[in-house]
Amino acid sequence: MFTWEFPPLISGGLGTACYGMVKALLKNSVEVDLVLPTKEEVYFPMRKPEDVDLLPVSYLGKKGKKKDFKNVEEKIKYLGLKGYPETYINFEEVESYHKYLTYFKDKEKDELEIIKKYLKGEEDIFSKIKEYTIRAYDFAEKLKFDLIHVHDWLTYPAGVVAKKASGKKLVAHIHATEFDRSSISGDERIHKIEHAGMHAADAVIAVSRYTSNLVFNQYRIDLKKLHIVHNAHEHDFDVLTKKKKFKGPVILFLGRITLQKGPDYFLEVGNRIVKKHSDAKFIMAGSGDMENQIIHRSAYYKLKNNFLFTGFLKRQDVFEIFSFTDIYVLTSVSEPFGIAPLEAMSFGIPAIISSRSGVAEVVDNAIKIDFWDIDRLTSSIEYLINNPKKRKEIGEKSKKEVETIRWQTASEKIKKIYRGLL
Amino acid sequence: MINIVFYFQVHQPYRVNNFNVLDIGENKDYFDGALNREIIQKVANKCYLPANSLILDLIDKYEGKFKVSYSITGVVIEQFKKYAPEVLDSFKQLAKTNCVEFLGETYYHSLSYLYDRDEFQTQIDMHKKLIQKEFGFNPITFRNTELIYQDNISDFAKEEGYKVILAEGAKRVLDWRSPLYAYKDYRRNLFLLLKYYSLSDDIAFRFSDRSWPEYPLTVDKFLNWVNNLGLDKEEGKNLFLNLFMDYETFGEHQWEETGIFNFLKKLPEKVMTYKNMRFSWPSDVLNLCNYEPETLFVKEPVSWADQERDLSAWMENSMQQNALETYHYLLDKIKKNKRDDLLEAARKLSTSDHFYYMSTKYFQDGDVHKYFSPYKSPELSYIYYINVLTDLEERL
Repeated sequence: MFTWEFPPLISGGLGTACYGMVKALLKNSVEVDLVLPTKEEVYFPMRKPEDVDLLPVSYLGKKGKKKDFKNVEEKIKYLGLKGYPETYINFEEVESYHKYLTYFKDKEKDELEIIKKYLKGEEDIFSKIKEYTIRAYDFAEKLKFDLIHVHDWLTYPAGVVAKKASGKKLVAHIHATEFDRSSISGDERIHKIEHAGMHAADAVIAVSRYTSNLVFNQYRIDLKKLHIVHNAHEHDFDVLTKKKKFKGPVILFLGRITLQKGPDYFLEVGNRIVKKHSDAKFIMAGSGDMENQIIHRSAYYKLKNNFLFTGFLKRQDVFEIFSFTDIYVLTSVSEPFGIAPLEAMSFGIPAIISSRSGVAEVVDNAIKIDFWDIDRLTSSIEYLINNPKKRKEIGEKSKKEVETIRWQTASEKIKKIYRGLL
Repeated sequence: MINIVFYFQVHQPYRVNNFNVLDIGENKDYFDGALNREIIQKVANKCYLPANSLILDLIDKYEGKFKVSYSITGVVIEQFKKYAPEVLDSFKQLAKTNCVEFLGETYYHSLSYLYDRDEFQTQIDMHKKLIQKEFGFNPITFRNTELIYQDNISDFAKEEGYKVILAEGAKRVLDWRSPLYAYKDYRRNLFLLLKYYSLSDDIAFRFSDRSWPEYPLTVDKFLNWVNNLGLDKEEGKNLFLNLFMDYETFGEHQWEETGIFNFLKKLPEKVMTYKNMRFSWPSDVLNLCNYEPETLFVKEPVSWADQERDLSAWMENSMQQNALETYHYLLDKIKKNKRDDLLEAARKLSTSDHFYYMSTKYFQDGDVHKYFSPYKSPELSYIYYINVLTDLEERL
């Protein structure tokens, strides 16, 4: 399995999802050799569920020396895994959407050739992917395995290479596409790589119906090999007791402050509600390219200290924020899945979520809205502010519901897809 | 006769801690004690102590003919007591010579004049009492925070018993007039002395600038300029060359290696060789003004900050405006609820520097803002400040 992120050093949903998925697969007696973008040429042979936390390491060659580490963090650092959200870098070189469309004319070309052609760029992330992809030959030749499973475009080139080298079947998992990350066009190179990777794959797994529709519409993937496996929720933390930090109700936005997540809609709603509920606290948790813009605009609206910013949060801090949040809001313009709302719900927090998300397909006890419908979003939040009883009721129902969304179910579906390929 | 009037500003804010949302309600200190200690002690060693000792020597050597004035804020005196008591002692020693004048201002170096006139008066009173207590001096010259001045500030100053007021000699205030004359405020109650900003800034900003055509600035060159200000036509009139600057110019903004202390050391000796020059205090204008001063109308506020010399250094962008409005809204609430226990912390948050750090001006002035700011960005300073206000509000 090739992936770009895995805990403890993660930046977003991808790492969290891989963790839950691998753990459940191990429980389902699927063995996983995990390849991450490490500095050293190593892989992580996972054989039992605990291994997702222990992260056992093997060197690919014989050169690797045994070394003792105090803890997993130290090991990860030594192996050179970076803990920053580079997966979601916005590339400056954005070419037109039309140029991308002409690509379909030469679709009979070999995917490997396409990847060689488009995996070009001076950016740090591209050179890292190139390095990672070149290494995939070694892994494919030296390791014993039955299937290759790759996650998102960063590892698709490695997957295609490994498939060519080993002749084994390839599973491409889609957690997010370039269409989610950018508004209309996006980086043409990434589109090409996503397209090539999915076409080369023998099975494509989308994390939601929303994503599978998008993939089918944009990339024309053969429906017979396109599967939907919803992400789930791993209750891997101690639920902190509910705290009261503020006198007024706390409404939370959690995620990167970037176009895809709709932070501007959250601000507009905050502006409307604070005018009426002067004790409401809107908290924007996260960082991103629109952070300063939102800070300035919130000040321009004169929201006093009713609109607060946390900056980038560590995982433990996220749980702490949940412990005093009253209402969770997901305003995403496009959210392939969205694990954060499930985590919030597991804290008994009532959630209002964008219907353009995968998570909206799996929960019933959340209020679903269109991200652009500020009127409805405002009235929904106000309804919850004014009805603490209802808030509690929905929160408790959400908590119960989330407990049923298990990785176990997801892993069984994945195993079935594996079986179909063998 | 030309009277050289030195006024040095001595001030250090209580810099706000890196205060995150999660810190709210957790009894975290609002102010970064370690950082404030470090800065006070660093500036004490580089500037306050050596400069005070030099000025004390000069006062002794010239037997009272070398005169300077200081405006020392309440918040810096508090911090001297905590982190560098020897600095306060050295100022007390200077006070004992009776050769320095102490000015009055707001205790917290605040912008309260612009938002809350009651608070403004309270802070002026607090400062006056402190100066009386620490230095046994009763100030009669007033300078508002950052030299901010407009007509009705003189009304407050008069009410508080002040006779002289200092302001920036901005071009749009003076127009064709010279900053060398004494003026009177719009009601003709107080004397106005205006900063001669080009000559002040030659010392304060350009002294060590190697790209400045006049570099290096020598005492001879400087006094030659002063002597050629076209004063010969004004024989008999007492003129005032007002050199106003941050005290930290000596040893901190301009390092010792630049020769700034030597400049100060040599200056009195050379001044004594000119028959038409002497050192005076701001309050000397009361006795020395031997002509009918013109009235100066200042409708729009002026200050000594940035190129604009207006209020834009502290209240130009929306972050600064929201922070100021939120602050004064809260201060009001604290007073209404009679929560005197929160008042001291709240007042420390009124210091103008907090808003200066939030400035997003670029070009030349942005660099100055950056130089003084302990934060990575204006946005971060805003976030920390707002979080601290929120903690304060939750304690109400």
